[in-house]
Amino acid sequence: MINSVILSYTTFVYFASFMLYLLMMVMGKDVFGRLASILTIGALIAHTSAIILRWIESYQFDMGHAPFSNFYESLIFFAWAVVLLYVLIEWRTKNRSIGTFASLLAVLIMAYASFSGVDSRIQPLIPVLKSNWLITHVITCFIGYAAFGIAFCLSLMYLLKKVDDPKRKGILLKTIPDSDILEELNYQVIIIGFVLLTLGIITGSVWAHSAWGRYWGWDPKETWSLITWLVYAAVLHSRMMRGWRGKKMAILSMIGFFCVIFTYLGVNFILSGLHSYAT
Amino acid sequence: MKEPNNKRGANILWNVFSSMKLTLALLIILAITSLFGTLIPQQQEAVRFAQGLSPRLHQFFELLGLFDLYHSLWFRAIIGLLALNLVICSVNRLPTTLKLFRAPSRPDRSKPFEDLPPQRNFLVERGIEDVGNRVADFLRNQYGRIVSKSTPEKNYLYAEKGRYSYFGVYLVHFSILLVLIGGVIGSVFGFNAYVNILEGDTVDSIILTKDMTSKRLGFSVFCEKFNVDYYDNGSPKEFRSDLGFLVEGKLAKKASLLMNRPITFGGITFYQSSYGSIPGKAYLSVQKEGSDLVESIVRVEIGDTFSLPGSESQIQVVNAVSNLNEMMGPAALISVKSREGEEIRFWVFQNIEKLRNQYPEAMFQAPRMNPSSFKPYTFFLKELESRFYTGLQANKNPGVSLVWFGCVVMVAGFFMTFFTSHRKIWVRILRSTDETKISVAGRTNRNPLTLEKELDLVTSQLHKLLD
Ligand code: HEM
Repeated sequence: MINSVILSYTTFVYFASFMLYLLMMVMGKDVFGRLASILTIGALIAHTSAIILRWIESYQFDMGHAPFSNFYESLIFFAWAVVLLYVLIEWRTKNRSIGTFASLLAVLIMAYASFSGVDSRIQPLIPVLKSNWLITHVITCFIGYAAFGIAFCLSLMYLLKKVDDPKRKGILLKTIPDSDILEELNYQVIIIGFVLLTLGIITGSVWAHSAWGRYWGWDPKETWSLITWLVYAAVLHSRMMRGWRGKKMAILSMIGFFCVIFTYLGVNFILSGLHSYAT
Repeated sequence: MKEPNNKRGANILWNVFSSMKLTLALLIILAITSLFGTLIPQQQEAVRFAQGLSPRLHQFFELLGLFDLYHSLWFRAIIGLLALNLVICSVNRLPTTLKLFRAPSRPDRSKPFEDLPPQRNFLVERGIEDVGNRVADFLRNQYGRIVSKSTPEKNYLYAEKGRYSYFGVYLVHFSILLVLIGGVIGSVFGFNAYVNILEGDTVDSIILTKDMTSKRLGFSVFCEKFNVDYYDNGSPKEFRSDLGFLVEGKLAKKASLLMNRPITFGGITFYQSSYGSIPGKAYLSVQKEGSDLVESIVRVEIGDTFSLPGSESQIQVVNAVSNLNEMMGPAALISVKSREGEEIRFWVFQNIEKLRNQYPEAMFQAPRMNPSSFKPYTFFLKELESRFYTGLQANKNPGVSLVWFGCVVMVAGFFMTFFTSHRKIWVRILRSTDETKISVAGRTNRNPLTLEKELDLVTSQLHKLLD
């Protein structure tokens, strides 16, 4: 299947972008950054076409469905959303230092999808997955997850910046934007993530309601998505508490991302539930 | 003397419940307790886990409702506290918000013009009055209502957008209440139930999940056929039950129930949730030793008794399964009772030839596995009919529309809170010697970057207009 081949090459290109973004930060040379951006955008285009090709291939195998229906496809879409969001942020903020972290995140997700024995075959849709609500559910959840992933990167950068002594003028962290900008950006990205996670939970509930007759069943996956939602609701409210901006928000946001990862992976592998389509 | 005390008590409570610290604490507590619920097996799964606990630990878990944490009183109490927190917080802040919302427009403020970046000022060679009229037209066009204040030397114009955005947060918080109320209504006035219907059968009651008691529907449901379609690779493609709904024996509605396509009838919604089959009639043939002829073929239901010509023993099919031990295929358990009351029981397999090749011969010498146990006869299972049944969920949830409404309100509230803002824009027009100076300033309650972009745009549009 051609799409898997494209996706494995894409993974290597993302890795190259990561190295270049890192070089840019270490050497303080903008050339590397510009090169990295070009590679990233190229890889994103390839990534997008692979997803579309996979969609078309599924129809050729006569079990046509949108490519968001198994664990492998969700990982690929997750990585795609991370890169897409990053590219948009780079374009808006004109800052490339986030790229080092975001591209590394994308590489890790893609590598996990390709090299860890995750079944990459196109599988037919079992009856319970045949729902348009499911497609919206997956799309909203994973773009939300991607936003939280970027927020995690921004929080990490914020904490690195805080740890760094400004008098030392460490070259590595010079390219990272100021704390205030990072914090505002972090907040904006968390908002995007929160709205999409909310939409994801709602569409998931509508789907569960039509499939099983209940919109909420305290299944581990559902519960963990609620935990994640509560943590990010706490992040949003924490901004309104005096002294909670900045560091505490960054830490809460990182905890939130661990919840996201646990909702996504931990529940499949550690807890059991209706959603564990990973085997 | 008591009154002030009481009042102070109420005040402290009010302050606690209107504080954001409590919100933060409750959100985190709710997250952590929910987490415990995913670690401790709940409800049905709890039974096995509970057996492994020491009696005292078991008692402790039971007491705290840890085996059904999400339905325990204290978990609901936390949610209740959050709801109370939310209501009091909103009520507490409403006057401030209303004040902001109703605040009169003040066109002649100078503060916004302090520290104005240079690109927000420009000069034109027009009279102040001409400029004033043009700017007023432009702003009215873009923002609707404008307020102005002018003197011969100075002209202030003020316009704004998005005053309502202050209420977004209230919508978000109100929507959470709607969802919670919808949930309560559902659990008080609704029910979850299930029912299995054999193909060709009709049922008029369902089994409540809560306590496994039966509940009459008030109508009956007939299952004409259950069907599974498969993909080429053998995984299921579609489950379909062809149902009929009968009121007082008359067919009121016919419909096919698919997964993800529930059907509502008489206020109860039916969902395709499982299926299965139970063995139906068995076709047995019997051969007498030494003869090539098949003596007889009988078609019997489980529990039916028959006898063979020339024998006085009672033969009964006591059980039949469609796949014995999950790998031996269809099989029927035969009991033969002699007149003296002696009983032998043995399994008869449909795929006996295949099984004999697959398993050691000795296995079929054991009396229980030997179809020739009843001498001088050998039994064969020719066919085992199976009857499909469809497993339906039958639920009623009168709160669900309120929940969906709450979700819509929540999303609308998010958009109002996060993506709209109250943007105030001032344009100041100053007369200097032979030119007119125009400055554009603004204030917002949210998203300052968006406002900056908007101000840049307004400035450049005005510049073009006046040049
Ligand atoms: C699960 C429950 C809750 C959710 C999902 C939620 C959601 C939100 C959201 C999205 C915002 C806007 C945040 C922002 O502007 O960055 C907000 C603000 C706020 N929330 Fe909540 N909230 C919840 C519970 C509560 C409770 C219980 C209270 C009661 C104290 C509360 C009080 C506030 C206040 C005072 C604001 C600030 C409004 C402002 O000035 O912007 N929230 N909430």
